[in-house]
Amino acid sequence: MTTDSRGTLLRWIFLAPTMLGVGLFVLVPIVGSLVLAFFRWDIITSPRFVGLQNFTDLAADSTVAVSFLNTAVFVVVAVAAQLAIAMLLAVLVQSRMPAWLRVFFRSTFFFPLVLSAASVSILMKYLFNESYGVINWALSLVGIPAVPWLTSPQWAMVVVIAVYVWQNFGFSFLLFIGGLAAVPQEVYEAGAIDGATGWRRFRHLTLPLVSPTVLVASVMAIISALQVFDQPYVLTRGGPGDSTRTVVMVIYESAFRELEFGRASAIGLVLMVLIMLVTAAQFRLARRFVFYQ
Amino acid sequence: MATRSPLTRRALLGAAGLAGVAGTAAAWPRLTGADIPGRGDDALTVLILGTAQDAAGRQQIADAFTEEHPDIPVRIQSVQATDWGDFFAKILTMVASGTQPDVVYTATEGAQLFAERLALPLDDYLLRDADAVRDYFEDVHPSLIEAFMYKGSLYQLPLDFNAANMYLNLDVLERNGLEMPGEDWNRDDFTELLRGMQGDATPYYWTNRLFGGIVPWLYVNDTSFLTEERAQGGEQLWSTFYPGEERSGGYLWTGSNATHERVHESVEYLRTLVQDGLAVRPEEGGGNTLVGLFASGRIGSTPAGGYWVQGLAEGGMTAEQYDVQFFPRWRTQRHQFGAAGYAVMKTTEKADQAWEWIKFTASKQAMQLAFPTPSTTPTRRSMVTDSLYTGVGPEHWSRFYDTLDRFPTSGPIPAPPQQAAVETALIRNISTALSGGAGGVARALAALDRDLRAVFTEEDA
Repeated sequence: MTTDSRGTLLRWIFLAPTMLGVGLFVLVPIVGSLVLAFFRWDIITSPRFVGLQNFTDLAADSTVAVSFLNTAVFVVVAVAAQLAIAMLLAVLVQSRMPAWLRVFFRSTFFFPLVLSAASVSILMKYLFNESYGVINWALSLVGIPAVPWLTSPQWAMVVVIAVYVWQNFGFSFLLFIGGLAAVPQEVYEAGAIDGATGWRRFRHLTLPLVSPTVLVASVMAIISALQVFDQPYVLTRGGPGDSTRTVVMVIYESAFRELEFGRASAIGLVLMVLIMLVTAAQFRLARRFVFYQ
Repeated sequence: MATRSPLTRRALLGAAGLAGVAGTAAAWPRLTGADIPGRGDDALTVLILGTAQDAAGRQQIADAFTEEHPDIPVRIQSVQATDWGDFFAKILTMVASGTQPDVVYTATEGAQLFAERLALPLDDYLLRDADAVRDYFEDVHPSLIEAFMYKGSLYQLPLDFNAANMYLNLDVLERNGLEMPGEDWNRDDFTELLRGMQGDATPYYWTNRLFGGIVPWLYVNDTSFLTEERAQGGEQLWSTFYPGEERSGGYLWTGSNATHERVHESVEYLRTLVQDGLAVRPEEGGGNTLVGLFASGRIGSTPAGGYWVQGLAEGGMTAEQYDVQFFPRWRTQRHQFGAAGYAVMKTTEKADQAWEWIKFTASKQAMQLAFPTPSTTPTRRSMVTDSLYTGVGPEHWSRFYDTLDRFPTSGPIPAPPQQAAVETALIRNISTALSGGAGGVARALAALDRDLRAVFTEEDA
């Protein structure tokens, strides 16, 4: 065996586990889902080919429409809040403070991310309970009447977003900490000579320099938010009414409660295409707004 | 100077590869699913909703069964699920993956789904072994049997049930100078009672689901959100086990009745209770938290069945601190109930052994093993006695079973084969109806009607 062919063989051997994993756990489910989207299947009876009917039905399905709208609102508000809070805290933590305090804040802000979303949501459900929750009890101390946090359409989405952001901003925070640490100190020194301090320093120096990190953080945050499930499922089960029902919840309910696997696959494919389009749009926009050193 | 490790990179990679191969070999039963309980095993697999502890709790029934039938090994397998709908979905997934159980313990919520698609009718076995099971039927109210009839055949022998009665917290009543209402109380008495509850307790706490949510209020208002009919058939079973009893071949729910004016009236009534602060906005799902809140005197009243008694006792509530009353009368006093029993899977190759299991578990001996405490109401009337409730139960524990005698038109949870989609539509739209003003009720019920029609139309297609 020649050196070249040995090298080729070795490359394939090293690639094989990853390719096998991706093939089995990513490609096969995607192809399976794609095929299933053209069938009606309830697990018990044999699948029945229905062509594009699952997709055309989606267009007339008000629950699906509402879930996409809810998800869109969720993504816009949650991602904006997540990135803004993460950036604000990252800038504060990177400012002058003792090293031990910096370590403390980094760990504290990242901590919610390592908790199980279901456990956090169960805990939050108790905290936000209208009749017996600690939050309403605290509000009552200052004379504010009980708020139906999870049982009114006006508040439920606010709570779901708040819980999601609380749990997830730590990831963006960590990315921003890395991005901020990489900004050369000389740039700030030069900026200071030119009178750039405070907000102007952040707007014209920090933000452009960490824009590649912002791009990565926003892409990941949007993809994750588009797939939100745990928090609304545990906190409200999508209610009241449909006010917090998200796309992935509808996929889950269609497949595992109503046994409409074809419909669930069709919604899943639409969501996948949507995520791809949004991500592509972000990278397209990045050409204008992201500054690479 | 650094010393070179005798372990070369090639050797390290080789060792890692070997470790990977060894790990894969060791995990092979897991990877292929060969270690899934029930696969490649000859035992009769009985599936229940619950935890591993629940399965262990029923082991003594399996042991007693094995003593009587040493040739039929039994394995009790539990499936954890958030509710019955989740449980049914998991069973269907098991069926699809080829690891279906032989027998499943299922409730009214899934009775027609099983009857329509998954379960074997028991008629032939029942008629063949009529003498052996006669004492069971003599002890069980016919309403419970009728709830498990589907299109003229019986699919399950109900072993436990719960009617939606009204639990009243006597501590809360006493704090407010109120008295326990009488059996003939009506909706207005109930409203007045709630108005009399002030302070830190929630007057009426309820959940949004098929059992105990809006449905009891629809039943007492002589209506339902689904059209209700009765199937023909089952005459031979009725004449064999309940001579003289005029019952049907089971319930049929085949269409929407959501826009009926009495449905609107019932929903509007609950909406005003919520609006007036007499009732909480209903939460979805079960009420695990509810027991603690009721036991600590923070809830005045709530609909529940006999399944609450043991939990309240364990929560520290004494028999003198609460009592149970029939649901208040509106146009009728028809109650809602749910029951549960074992169903034999159509796919089983052990149908005869499964029938032996069902026959055994319906015996009084097995039911006493299954229900040693009042964590539910046994369907055998002879077991619902003072001895079951002494020291733990409310003063009027007899109302749990009396509900069926006093109100013989009481009906099961309306759960057609499309239960999951029906329940989803109900919960979603009732939730919407209660979240807005009076005008929102009609809109929400119109949406419920539309959703239900879609569910039934889809099934027809």
